[in-house]
Amino acid sequence: MKANRSFWRGLLAMPANVWHSIFRHPLPHSDLGRAQTSFTNFFLHIHPVKVNRHTIKPWYTMGLGLISFFLFVLLVVSGILLMFYYVPSTTQAYDRMLDLRGSVAFGTFLRNMHRWGAHAMVAAVFLHMCRVFFTGSYKKPREFNWVIGIGLFLLTLFSSFTGYLLPWDQLAFWAITVGAAIAGYAPFIGADVQFLLLGDTTVGQEALLRFYVLHIAVLPLVLTLLVSVHFWRIRKDGGLSRPPEADGLPEAKPDTVVEWPTELDVAPVAQAAAAPVAVATVAPVAAPAIEKKRYGIQGLVRGPFTKVGNVPENTVFSWPSLFMAELFVFVLTVAGILVVSLLFNAPLEEPVNVMHPPNPAKAPWYFLGLQEMVSYSAFWGGVGIPTVEVLLLLLVPYLDRNPEGVGHWFSRKRLLANTLFLIFVIVNIVLIIIGTFFRGPNWEFVSPW
Amino acid sequence: MRWALAIASFVILIVHGWVFYDQFFHKWERHQNAYFDQARAMAKTDAERTALAGRSPRIEQIIVTAFGEKGGENRVDRCTTCHIGIDDPRFKDHAEPLKSHPFSEALGDRMINGKWERRHKFSDFGCTLCHDGQGRGLDTFYGHGEDHYWPDPLLGYVTQNWRADFKPKLKNKEYMQANCAQCHTEENFKSTPLVAKGRQLFYEKNCYGCHKIEGLSTGTLGPALSEAGKKFKLDYLWESVVEPRANSATSFMPKFNLTDDEVKALVTFLKSRRGINFSETSLDRYRATLDKPKEGGVELTSTTPATTPKAEAAAAGTTVALGEKLVKDHSCLACHKLGAVDGGVAPDLSFEGLLKDDNWLLGHFRDPRALVSDSIMPAFGLPEGDYQAMTTYLSSLKTPPALGAPAEIFKNNCARCHGDMGNGKGMIAVYLDPYPRDLTKAGFMNSKTEDRLVASIREGVLGTSMPGWGKVLNDEQIKGVLNYIQTSFVKDPRRPLKARQVPETNPVASSKESITRGEQIFLQRCTGCHGKKGDGKGPNSLDILPRPRNLRNGEFMNSLSDRRLFESILYGVQGTAMPPWVDYGLTQKEVGDLVNYLRSFRQGKK
Repeated sequence: MKANRSFWRGLLAMPANVWHSIFRHPLPHSDLGRAQTSFTNFFLHIHPVKVNRHTIKPWYTMGLGLISFFLFVLLVVSGILLMFYYVPSTTQAYDRMLDLRGSVAFGTFLRNMHRWGAHAMVAAVFLHMCRVFFTGSYKKPREFNWVIGIGLFLLTLFSSFTGYLLPWDQLAFWAITVGAAIAGYAPFIGADVQFLLLGDTTVGQEALLRFYVLHIAVLPLVLTLLVSVHFWRIRKDGGLSRPPEADGLPEAKPDTVVEWPTELDVAPVAQAAAAPVAVATVAPVAAPAIEKKRYGIQGLVRGPFTKVGNVPENTVFSWPSLFMAELFVFVLTVAGILVVSLLFNAPLEEPVNVMHPPNPAKAPWYFLGLQEMVSYSAFWGGVGIPTVEVLLLLLVPYLDRNPEGVGHWFSRKRLLANTLFLIFVIVNIVLIIIGTFFRGPNWEFVSPW
Repeated sequence: MRWALAIASFVILIVHGWVFYDQFFHKWERHQNAYFDQARAMAKTDAERTALAGRSPRIEQIIVTAFGEKGGENRVDRCTTCHIGIDDPRFKDHAEPLKSHPFSEALGDRMINGKWERRHKFSDFGCTLCHDGQGRGLDTFYGHGEDHYWPDPLLGYVTQNWRADFKPKLKNKEYMQANCAQCHTEENFKSTPLVAKGRQLFYEKNCYGCHKIEGLSTGTLGPALSEAGKKFKLDYLWESVVEPRANSATSFMPKFNLTDDEVKALVTFLKSRRGINFSETSLDRYRATLDKPKEGGVELTSTTPATTPKAEAAAAGTTVALGEKLVKDHSCLACHKLGAVDGGVAPDLSFEGLLKDDNWLLGHFRDPRALVSDSIMPAFGLPEGDYQAMTTYLSSLKTPPALGAPAEIFKNNCARCHGDMGNGKGMIAVYLDPYPRDLTKAGFMNSKTEDRLVASIREGVLGTSMPGWGKVLNDEQIKGVLNYIQTSFVKDPRRPLKARQVPETNPVASSKESITRGEQIFLQRCTGCHGKKGDGKGPNSLDILPRPRNLRNGEFMNSLSDRRLFESILYGVQGTAMPPWVDYGLTQKEVGDLVNYLRSFRQGKK
């Protein structure tokens, strides 16, 4: 009888039990709960339990990195759905586009989301790069994360470029023909690179297959990996960049060595997470006073990040401040893409006609700056200058060793670096605008009005 | 921030609602429901009613396997999703899209026992095979091909964003004959009169002389049109016929001044040219190219039967009248000038009988390039009788033009090629090769003896478009014109010419060794301008005016004396890029080898 009753009670409690087995903590009301929520959730635990107040200032990062990431997620999801309908064959690809537009449920909308999402991601990643530069965030110890970021930017461009071919319409075919021709201008290896990319001397079935595999498998995998490393390093490099004063330290002393407790016990995780709470109000100079405390494994890791004994003053709990901010960026990104996808249809031009190039045949917009330069000099515009630009970008943190001016937009202390970069950005944008709007048949100058 | 979050979330919700609504409430569903409702009302038997009861809106499609796109693939036509009553005769008076497809004898439909039976069953042929449009589209905009990117809008119904002045002319279901001709390739198939008329015009208007259509013509001057119907939409074809330069600024296709009906027929014919069609195999195609005569275009007796009886009648004596008619019918005057009609591309024929003789005319008709190497006039491959009639007609044109003062003579007769300013840029100059001489170049004009200039005018220059004016102008008048040129264009006074040490005839006897030596010299010294082949198309030729001489122009080269060749090579041609080679160390003997080499070009030919 008793067993029977407890069984029924258990059954009644099942929904609650299921719920609690999935979500181990109720919505947090205490600091301990907030810490636990971020710490024990798979999706949240990539975040620190606490973040600096400066990190969540909306106008500091403008959420550009997150926007890029969310767009990537959006692209993966919509891309997977599109893959169900796509065949990378020159005879079928275009028909599949027509089907997507005509008969597949939500086909047009998916394609719009993927298309506009891709364009938006290229733009967002570029703007993110500008933000990082203008706030001097690539400086020590974040040098290598900048380099990874440049890699991600190039991968984003390449992903977008490979995706451009897949609809197999005139726009795709000739844009890739032009783009691949630009690659062909490289000395010595140009022709080989082009052949490797296209699998042929012209854009055809081989190229379509290669671009497809790169676009749906290789590049997303590499991107995912690099994004993970990028995120990982944000935490390992001490969170987002911020001015030294944001840490609440009297004067910038990032390298201040704090006396480390010598005897450390490994404590349960929860306790370790709670540890900063207990000492939140204790000034760092008081570190020796907490010698007898028990610390989590994190305390062992050296470096200028949130750690025991060097407890940042100016922090808030990630839950809810950071997560709300992230949710906000996410919702805004999704809403933006949805609205754009509703209003504007992704282009689908004529089926490929190899004998009939449009005049002018233009590369995708983000390569039109290159194409514009190519129109002056094939080698310098298509290969020389871009290579130098990429190399310079990669070397930026190693060339600029001035430690000042981190964490402020357009810091006066970084006048030269910011000016140079601003010129770089403006020149590239102007070239793209010229290539997009001011070039007509035979690449002659035309007015868009 | 919470407000912004709420608003953004709301936007997401709204967009989702919108998209879902769009997705699940299609226009075609409404059409189908309307069809079901009305069909139910019309149903007379229970069987009909139960059949209808089981139907609910869905995407309908016809997969056409026999007449695929792109040579072999299935054609997918989803048109019947909206046009669901297409094969239901009860809906013959309904409005689109439910209206049933009309029956017509012209389409081969037959009335059997009071019921129509279709010749072209939709299940076999689908819709886009005849109508064009985009079979996969499920709304009017895409399905009918209104999207201007779609290459095949509904033929004769949808005009996209075409030029307003053509639009109304291109809306006519007769254009669909172009698609009938994909299968019904017989020349005079009775249901495709427009295609047949267009084909006839293609020959009558001499289109075939310049344009190649596989199996029909071999012209090379203009773009090939074998796949014109596949590549171009109606508006482009119409525009290209009516305004040749609208789509290609460098086109020298003349305006043919056709009537709208003629253009319509031509456009329909061209639209029917889509490369390989359903009724022939590639093997047929290949055989047709093998059977074709190599030169002189196609055998016209079969394609324009109308000309043969005429040619026979020619023997009966009305040759001149017939020739005149032929010249007119064949659109010769689309390029040439004759009396008041001027095509603006080719020389004046108004008094051709005074400029050329019968032999020249006949030979030139048969193969223009045999007499003027770089002429753009096509060999039209007409029946020999036609040529003779046209020759007779042209040589009967012996009324000399009104002559007057030298200035007037020049203006009326020379300026067409040499230009009003004498600078060689006359109205038709760009179509002539070699270009007409620039008479303002004193260097050239004053380095030639007056006798030679007079001779050029009187006898003409063989192998070029310069005719001999001897029968139009007397020596007095020729000298008058020359004098006019000298004072108005050359301007520099003539100076006495230096006597030069030049042999009258080539002192080096022509031999294999001499020719080989000449070739070596030619390859070392001359190819930069005259080209490896000696055809005047060397790498530098484009930067040079006047252009380097085509040394393979047999008529011209044969008319030159050895003396003149020696003089031109040794002492150069003043006013042109030809330098005096004596200054660069060429000896008379070497020039002799060169001349032997140049003369050897001709030996290979007839």
